[in-house]
Amino acid sequence: MKLLEIKNLKKNFGCTEVLNDISLNVEEGEVVAILGPSGSGKSTLLRCATLLETMDEGTLSYCGTSATLNEDGKTVYAAKAQLNVLKRDFGLVFQNFNLFPHYTVLKNVTDAPVSVQKRDKKQVEKEARELLKKVGLSDKENAYPQELSGGQQQRVAIARALAMKPKMLFFDEPTSALDPELTAGILKILRELAAEKMTMVIVTHEISFARSVADRVIFMDGGVIVEEGRPEEVIDNPSNDRTRAFLQKLSD
Amino acid sequence: MKKICRLIVIAFIMSLMTGLLISCSSEEAFTVGFDAEFPPYGYKDDNGEYVGFDLDLAQEVCERNGWKLVKQPVDWDSKDMELNTGTIDCIWNGFTMDGREDLYTWTSAYVDNSQVVVVKEGSGIESLEDLKGRVVIVQADSSALAAFTGANASEENLALAAGFKDLQQVSDYNSAFMNLESGSADAICMDIGVARYEIEARGSGFVMLDEHVSSEQYGVGFKKGNKSLRDKVEAALQDMLKDGTFEEIAQRWGLEESICLGEEGSDTVKNNEKDTVDEESFGEKFVSVVKQLGEGMGATLAIFFLTLIFSLPLGLLITFIRMSRFKVLRAVSKIYISILRGTPLMLQLLVVFFGPYYIFGISTSSEYRFYAVIIGYSLNYAAYFAEIFRAGIEAVPAGQYEAASVLGYSRVQTFGKIVFPQMVKRVLPPVTNEVITLVKDTSLAFALAYTEMFTLAKQISANMASVMPLFVAGLFYYIFNLVVAYIMERFEKRLGYFR
Repeated sequence: MKLLEIKNLKKNFGCTEVLNDISLNVEEGEVVAILGPSGSGKSTLLRCATLLETMDEGTLSYCGTSATLNEDGKTVYAAKAQLNVLKRDFGLVFQNFNLFPHYTVLKNVTDAPVSVQKRDKKQVEKEARELLKKVGLSDKENAYPQELSGGQQQRVAIARALAMKPKMLFFDEPTSALDPELTAGILKILRELAAEKMTMVIVTHEISFARSVADRVIFMDGGVIVEEGRPEEVIDNPSNDRTRAFLQKLSD
Repeated sequence: MKKICRLIVIAFIMSLMTGLLISCSSEEAFTVGFDAEFPPYGYKDDNGEYVGFDLDLAQEVCERNGWKLVKQPVDWDSKDMELNTGTIDCIWNGFTMDGREDLYTWTSAYVDNSQVVVVKEGSGIESLEDLKGRVVIVQADSSALAAFTGANASEENLALAAGFKDLQQVSDYNSAFMNLESGSADAICMDIGVARYEIEARGSGFVMLDEHVSSEQYGVGFKKGNKSLRDKVEAALQDMLKDGTFEEIAQRWGLEESICLGEEGSDTVKNNEKDTVDEESFGEKFVSVVKQLGEGMGATLAIFFLTLIFSLPLGLLITFIRMSRFKVLRAVSKIYISILRGTPLMLQLLVVFFGPYYIFGISTSSEYRFYAVIIGYSLNYAAYFAEIFRAGIEAVPAGQYEAASVLGYSRVQTFGKIVFPQMVKRVLPPVTNEVITLVKDTSLAFALAYTEMFTLAKQISANMASVMPLFVAGLFYYIFNLVVAYIMERFEKRLGYFR
């Protein structure tokens, strides 16, 4: 089943074309890695998919429910209420974690399920403790974000996203703000999630991670998808010059 | 650069020397302290000159002694400090001797003055009896006030005052008449000479009651013990009386009916001067000052807390409007903030208090005085808080909004749960500054003759002829602010768990 379906997405910032005619489908249980140089539009694609940014043209739908209508080629968004329903389908983990600094670790994880999804507080807390255990932070539930390292904060952010029980997760360069040492910890959690068949779209610069975990790799440059396919095709035998040049630079 | 520095130093030295030269000019100066809003004795005329009966007398006295007259307007509440520190040589300004006999060194009485009551035409008040249950206004530390509440007040005046709904004090007669006109007071009690002048100058609309409140005499007051200067002035006055100049000047100001210089009994006070004033001990004085200030402290605290209670939420509301999606609303709140921050608080208080009458013709009651103070302060402080809050909200990183959006928080939830707590932490230091300023700003309520602590301290100080009440008031403000700073620091510490 198609979880995410983006068709013909176009996005401009003023006169600058950021995304040009991007189409992307994500199947249930699939792990998609998006690679590409900075400024290639990866993050904007993720922000459009998570409704943080509006698209100029194209359509977006989750599990067959459309977030947009296409009128005369221009994108018109559905009513706010419907968008709020769609937001339950996905979660997003930011590069800078964006934890709520005035909440404890536990409250960061439980607040949205309780106050947005109106779920039972006791039940949510029980699940949250399990999630914290899973990301290795059982002993930190009463700590505040500023008392944690970057890697620990990112693990809380992942637990916060998982607590909403989304059908899929987006990761926007989840390890770019971290030391290599802390990066390994986060990638380990992502591998575990992939093993549990969590649907994920990950924007990353970690090539070897993408090769070992992703079912599909997308290479973006200049606002378009340049190459797309299985990791061994795109990463090990890139057919496109730009992909080759980018991978060459990374391995230098 | 060096050249510029040298120029600045030279300019500074030259200005210092000019100042010294002026102050050491050969002619001896005679500085008269007077209330510049007390016609016809001393006031500012249409040309901006200080004129009046007393100033003309002083001018003549100076000419006869070969002095140069310096006319120094003073704040009536501060006249004793001016006199004691030597910044003025005498108080010469329809200055009532009754009740102050032992506090100054006096000349002979030169004007016999009565206190009269001025009311609005057609107010239905025709006799002193009718003042029962009414709001009566007097000038702070005036003879009218002394006539009703002073130590030497007569029995009948005390009884009369006891029947008033309220006896309020204002700092000058202009605001007294504004109060009368706007309906927040029913009558003004004042010196007959001033009353005659004011009624004529203001055209119709005010009348004087035929009954007078009390009789009293004016003299020129010198610092206790300064008999040598007093004697020179007295001699000149007696000269002027003999050659008719005194009478002539009185006629010029329409006061020929009131003068009494040279009459029997006019020199009683002058001749019976006691050498010392009975002094209370420091401790007794302190306790009595604190007791008297108590009521004013309550008023100051009331202004402080009510202003905070109203201005903080109002400031937040203005912030929302300021950050609204609608251009018109944004412009409105921008103009509001600009005006409230760009004009003096004292002026805003006057507009809130007198505006209803002078702009909309709505008569106000005396209870409105307190509400006006609170409304004025709240509107003003809300403007400052609004800008502080806006800065605080804008300082919350965009990532916080994005995280909230992805997690599905509504706009209200995002603000209430995520943005507001972080804003509060950020605005605490600037808010603390404003709150400390508010503690001190409460003293501006005197503009509406609302008796908060500083106004009261000035009144008591004038009454006791001592600066101690002002020090006690200062001490109160300082301690109050120490407490405020401590509490705010605790708040900041409590919010220290997050960045």
